[in-house]
This record gives sequence, C-alpha cells and structure tokens, in this order.
Amino acid sequence: MEKNTLSAVAIGSVVVLAVVAFLFLASPGRSPDPATRTIVVYTSVDQVYSEPVFRDFEKVTGIRVLPVYDIEATKTTGLVNRLIAEKGRPQADVFWSGEFGQTILLKNESVLAPYASPAAGDIPQQFHDADQYWTGFGGRARVFIVNTDRLAPGHYPSTVYDLVNDKYLGNSVGIAYPMFGTTATHAAALYRYLGWEKGRAFFSDISKRQVRVVDGNSVVRDLVADGQLAFGLTDTDDACGALEKGAHVAIIVPDQKEGEMGTLVIPNTVALIKGAPHPSEAKVFIDYVLDRKSEDAMVASGWIQIPSRHVPTKSSCMNTTGIRAMNISYQEVYTSLPGTQKDLIEIFIR
Amino acid sequence: MASSSLFPGIRIHVSLKSFLYALVLVLFFLLVTSPLIGLCLDLLQEALSGTLDPFSPLTLSSRRFWLLCASISLAAAVAAAGIGIGILVVSLLWRISRRGLVIILLALLALAAIPPYIHALTWSSLLGFLAQFLPGLTVTGWGISFWVELMALLPLSTLLAWIAFASVDLSLVEAGRVFRSDWEAFFHILLPLSVPALGAAFGFLFLVCCSDYSVPSLFGADVYALDIFAQFSASGSPSLAFLYALPLMLVMVAVIITCRSGIRTLAQTPDWLSAREGTALRFPRPFVMLQVLACVVILVQISVLFSGLLWTTGSISTFTHSVMVAQAELGYSLLIAAGVILISLPLSLAAAHELRRPGLRGGIAWFLVLLPLAMPASLTGIGLILFWNLQGPVFLYPGILMPVLAGVARFAPFAAIILFVQLRFIDPVLFDAAAIFSTSTLKTWVEIRLPLYAPGLFVSGGILAALTLAELGATLIVAPPGYGTITMRIYNYLHYGAAAEVAGLCLMITILCLIAGLGTVAAVRWLYRDDGRAKERKRESLR
Repeated sequence: MEKNTLSAVAIGSVVVLAVVAFLFLASPGRSPDPATRTIVVYTSVDQVYSEPVFRDFEKVTGIRVLPVYDIEATKTTGLVNRLIAEKGRPQADVFWSGEFGQTILLKNESVLAPYASPAAGDIPQQFHDADQYWTGFGGRARVFIVNTDRLAPGHYPSTVYDLVNDKYLGNSVGIAYPMFGTTATHAAALYRYLGWEKGRAFFSDISKRQVRVVDGNSVVRDLVADGQLAFGLTDTDDACGALEKGAHVAIIVPDQKEGEMGTLVIPNTVALIKGAPHPSEAKVFIDYVLDRKSEDAMVASGWIQIPSRHVPTKSSCMNTTGIRAMNISYQEVYTSLPGTQKDLIEIFIR
Repeated sequence: MASSSLFPGIRIHVSLKSFLYALVLVLFFLLVTSPLIGLCLDLLQEALSGTLDPFSPLTLSSRRFWLLCASISLAAAVAAAGIGIGILVVSLLWRISRRGLVIILLALLALAAIPPYIHALTWSSLLGFLAQFLPGLTVTGWGISFWVELMALLPLSTLLAWIAFASVDLSLVEAGRVFRSDWEAFFHILLPLSVPALGAAFGFLFLVCCSDYSVPSLFGADVYALDIFAQFSASGSPSLAFLYALPLMLVMVAVIITCRSGIRTLAQTPDWLSAREGTALRFPRPFVMLQVLACVVILVQISVLFSGLLWTTGSISTFTHSVMVAQAELGYSLLIAAGVILISLPLSLAAAHELRRPGLRGGIAWFLVLLPLAMPASLTGIGLILFWNLQGPVFLYPGILMPVLAGVARFAPFAAIILFVQLRFIDPVLFDAAAIFSTSTLKTWVEIRLPLYAPGLFVSGGILAALTLAELGATLIVAPPGYGTITMRIYNYLHYGAAAEVAGLCLMITILCLIAGLGTVAAVRWLYRDDGRAKERKRESLR
C-alpha cells in the first residue's frame, strides 16, 4: 500500500477540495455584487406564497431580497427567537408575519422600529399599531375543514362549541396544539372573549374528550382530507389548499349566526427592524407589500382570503364577503397570549 | 522544540506538535460547546438583571415529573427494542458474503438520513388506510408512537448492532464452538463481549429518541421535549427554555456516561469489513423464528417507507421536477455536509486521543464531549447565535458557515466517540515503531497513521453526512438569508401539502446517501487493493 497511499491521499484531497469549491460556487444566494441593493426579510409566511412576492419586488425595484423562512415544525418560535437573539446586532431589515401575536412580542422586546408607510393609508385603522411599529393587512380566518364523505351537510359543525359537542366522537375531531401558532392566537382570543374560567373549561373539555391534537394546522388539514378525521379547526389557507387539490372537504366559517361570537380573523403584519442594516430598502419593501396591488396578488395566489380593503380579485376558494369577525382587539389577544399558552401547556401536555 | 520565558526564571518547553495538538483540541471543544457557552452567558445576563426566575423551571411539578418519566420510558423502550431487533437481524446475516453485508449496511445508512417525521407521516397514512377496514385499530397513543419511533430508528439500530458484533474477535467465538454448542457460544461469548458496544448503541438511540417530539406528537403522545419547546414558545426566553431542558439533559448525560464505560471496555480488533470464515452459527428453532420475525419487521419498515414514497411521488416527472426545483437547496445541503465532515474529522481525531487520557483529564474530556449531545436542536441554534453574533467575527455570522458550525456542534462528538473506539483497537506499538524508523512526520501520517485511522474516519464521515442531511432544528435558526437546505424545503412542502414533492425529495436523499456510501466503499477497496486483503478477496471469489 505504501506506493499508493500518497497518491490516494493526494487525489482524495484534490477531489474533496474540488467538490467543496464547486458546491460553494454553485450555491444559491451567494454574496451578491456589492453594488446590488439588498434587503433581508425574515418571514413566517409560507415560502410558496412569499417567494413570488419577493421575485416581483426584485423585478420592480431591482432590490435583491434575501429571505429567511420559517417552517411550521418550529411554530414561528425559531424565527422570532432568532430576531430577539440578534437584537444586539440585527441582521434582518423587515419582519413579515402571517399573524400578529409574535409581531407584538417583538415590539415589546424592542426589536422593531416605527414606520408609517404611505401605502397603508387606505388600510382600516384597526390594522395599524397605535405606535406605528407594525401595520397589518389582509389575512386568514379560523375555519372548520370538514370531510364531506364522513359528514352529511346537515351534520356539519357550525360553532367552535361543536369541538366539545357529544354528537361528534372525540377522536374524529382535530385541532393543532393550541400552544403554538395561529391556534394559540385563537385560543388566547377565546380565553379573552369568553373569560378566563370559561376559556379554560372549554379547552379542558376538549382535552377530556380526547379530541385529536396534532402537530400543526396542515396536519389537521391532511388528516381531514385523508378521512381520518371528520372535521378539524384550521386556517383558511390550509383549508383552501385541500379544496384546490380536489380533496372531499368543505369549509365552514364558525359562529356566523346573529348573536354568535364570529370567527377570529388573523391579519398579516409587516414591520421594520430596529437598527436594520438597509433601512431605506426596507421601507421600500414595506411600502410594496402594503400596496393594494400586492394584497390583490396575494388574494389571487391563495395566501389571503380576507382582504383588509377592497381589491378586484375575490378568493376563488370561498365566499368571504360579510364574514363575522370576533370583536376583539389584537392587543387584547396578545396580552392574554403568554398566560393562555402556559395554561394550555398544563392542560394538553401531560 | 521552542522554549520561551514567560516569567523570569521559568522556561517553558513547547514542541510544535504539542502546540498544534492543543490548538486543535481547543478548537474542537470551543466549537462543540459554543452553543452551551452562549446560553450560559445569556442565562447569567438575565439572572443578573433580575428578569429570570430560575427556580420554577428547575422544580419539577407532578405533571412535568410524569412527563419526564414517560419520555424516558418511551426512549428506553424504543432503544431496547431497536437493539434487540438489530441483534436478531445481524446474527442471522452474520455469515453472508462481505459484498452482501456492505450492500445491506449502505442501505441502512441511506435510510437513516430520512427525517423521522417522514417515517411518521408514511405510517400515519398507512394506519389511516387500514383503519377503514379494521375499525378497532388504534391510530393514536403511546403504543403507536413506540412502533413508529422504532421504525424510524430501526436502520440506525441495526447498523449499530452490526458495529457491536464486528467489535468482537471471532476467534474467541470459534474457540467456544469447539467445546460447546453454537447457541452457547453465541449466548455466553459473542453476546457478552458485544454488550459494551451494544450499551453504547443503546445510549445513542436513547439520546436521539429523547430529544424527538415530532413523531410522538403526531400520534398524540406528549413527551418532555415537546414541553421544553412549548415553554420556549410561551416565554420567548432561551435561558428559561434551557433551564426547562436541564432535567432531561441531565438524564441523557447520565445515560450516556453509563454507556461510555461500555465503550471503554471494548476489546479486540474490529476488522469490520473482513470476511467471516467458517460455517454459520446454528441456533435453536425458537431463536431462528425470532430472527426471521426481526427480518420481517425490517422488511416491513423498508417496504412501508419506500412504497409510501414511491406511491406518493407517482411518476418520474414528479421526481425530476422536485429535484430540479430543489437543486439550490441540494447544493447547499451537500456543501454543509462536506464542511461538517472536513472540519469535524480532524478535530474529532484530536478529541478522540484526549478521550483516551486517564484520570481527571480524560473525565473532563468525556464530560465536554457528551454534554452537547444532550442539548435540544433549537436551543443549539439559539446558543450559536448568542455566541457568534458578536461585534468581532462578522465574517462568521450570519455567513454560510453557520449551518456547518451547527452541524459540527451537534454531531462532531459522535465522530469523536467513533474514532475513540477506532483508536482503542490500534496497537500503539505501530506508532512507536513509525516514530523510530520514519524519516518525516508527513511520511508517518501518510503511510502509517492515516491508513490505520481510515476505517473510523470513513464510518464517522458517513454518519456525519447522514445526520447533517437530516438536521433541521439548529440549521433553521442559523441559516443565512437567501440559503435553505433540502430538509427545510421538505418541511416547507409538507406544510403546503405538496406530498408528491416531499416524497420525491426524500427519495433523492436516499439515492444520494447510497451513492456516497458506494463511493466510500469503492475508495476503501481501492485504498487497500495491494495489501494482503487482496488474497482474501481472491479466496472469496473462488468459493
């Protein structure tokens, strides 16, 4: 082996270095030309929906977007905690979220900077932060997705109380873990709306009935579409995704009758990061995302089902005109979120 | 040798070799403990500012206590069952040809690179389908969680069982067969001699299972790792999450330390890929039936996974489309894996030497190597940010090397332990002889040391690659803007419901691992082609 070892090691080293060099050169998103303007956007919006927005923005403005995506498996915890950990030396310019709870948390952690975008002038006041640290726009609603093979129309759920209704078997109903994501936000809204004791009792009943609690809204969607669950609570974008793929499902907006509480509508939120490395470009991006045309494009793509203002395109998945929303402020929901999460951890993780 | 005078009257003699060794060692321990250091600094800062209540996370309520017990029980049961099945399968396949054994081992390693969550989704779909015909079939609960977790870890457990058996000098078993039955030789010689390595394998599987919550949560079984994550989400404080994680980390470290003593007592030479001479062991019929049952379980696992992936992919065009769309992430994932291997192997080799030190020095080395293994992935990522996002080394964070550092922090300790095992089997007299007769350090390394280290380096490299490709929790947190890995793309597709693309990408990962494994085997064969093994191979081919 002596005469071959040196040549083997030498060849091996050259091959390894060549492979590494090739992979390095072929990797995406390498440091762009220093002359190119760039921004870094941290987003919890699904890559499938946010990436087209970034590409369109790049074409229009020539500013390159370097995105950092989140995934449902880390329940936005990863992205938000990354922003907090980077507070001393921010890397991101903009935070774009599919909900509002984590955005308000970032505001309270002094991660955000105020910016009042001129493009948000026609967005209703309820979507604006009082201190202008973030701006909301069109979003999603909490809905039931129902398997139409398992339930006849006359037996469809119509209110969140159907999650604890004895006419449905507990293990035929599903929700995502109510300590994470939009389900946590919905839970906090229910705790706030119903009162702490009633909210706690409601979720305790869900736990006692052995409703199937799974890893995320997309898992609820898949289990219902698969027929393993009769119905489940999820977001409109997940439900619409199943419908568009031809699954035997229907979408029911809960609590829409007169006198009922309505459903939680969860807007997108966008905010400027404090100390952003590229503040000018960040403001251009925020203006772009808040523009009416962008909201219209996101309705067309299927990300937004509940626009914040009038846009030409209607959601192809469901009729969202006149949806009754829960009468509750985002700040109120956020305030009850940490306590709700801790309470729900005690109820569901045991 | 250089000497310097740091203080008047004191002269310190430092050889270049010692200096380099110390430097490499410091770098290893710095890289693997950097997340821990970052978290500890953050913890200290919060404690000093008075914003942290350290006592409530450390005080186990009855709920958390039972959660911890249930998690430990699940992990222990999965690890034990995995090792048991691995023993049965390997004992049946022990006498097949070396080529067949290599093929099986490569297939197992390739399967180990598929994220456990994909196994879980495949089984969830199958159980949902079967539930239509078997109304009494339970699709949730601890039983199903145990089964699916076991299926996800079976490739790894079988691979580790094989390594354990390969660590035993078979001449001892053959000697036993002369005087006793094959069954007694297996039960009283082979099995006891491989128990230390099996114990180490148990510890490794226990570790992996303890820190995973994705599989149990899909089937309604709540584990302590999920509680840590939930507390992290609710509090937004990495320090608090770290404190919540401490009880589980301490249990994991205790188990690993117990298994470590097994590693240290491994004996004899592992000739892991050599042919096994003589006739196959003959076992009693009941044991043979168990072996066959174990093989059936493995085949079921492989069949369910592959048929699920193939069925969901649907067509070659879907497969090629998913590969084309994800080629950027694929390139970056391979770059990260290559980086992790290139950085980890030399550093782990130095650490492996340090693990051999007796007394306090070796004990400290073992503690520092084992502790990072017990840390949850997402906390590792946050710890890396807290450590590296400083005013100083701007080129590191958030550069493209950060996911490489995440891989090194999480997996280099595994490589150090594997190389430690390798070192135990190398006769140090060979190095002494080389030091006496060799005319240069480079020649010693190239012609003596590297060939002796090669099997351990290749095995470590393969395991590092498989673990790095499947890693998500820490990589997601530190991935630089504009970059994504193949696993991140898979989970994004999962959320979107693009099941066909997910299946296509998982198939691609498996194929890549198989190619990498075949390439490794080919390299080893070429490396050793002119030594005495050539005669052995010729004998095999003539049979």
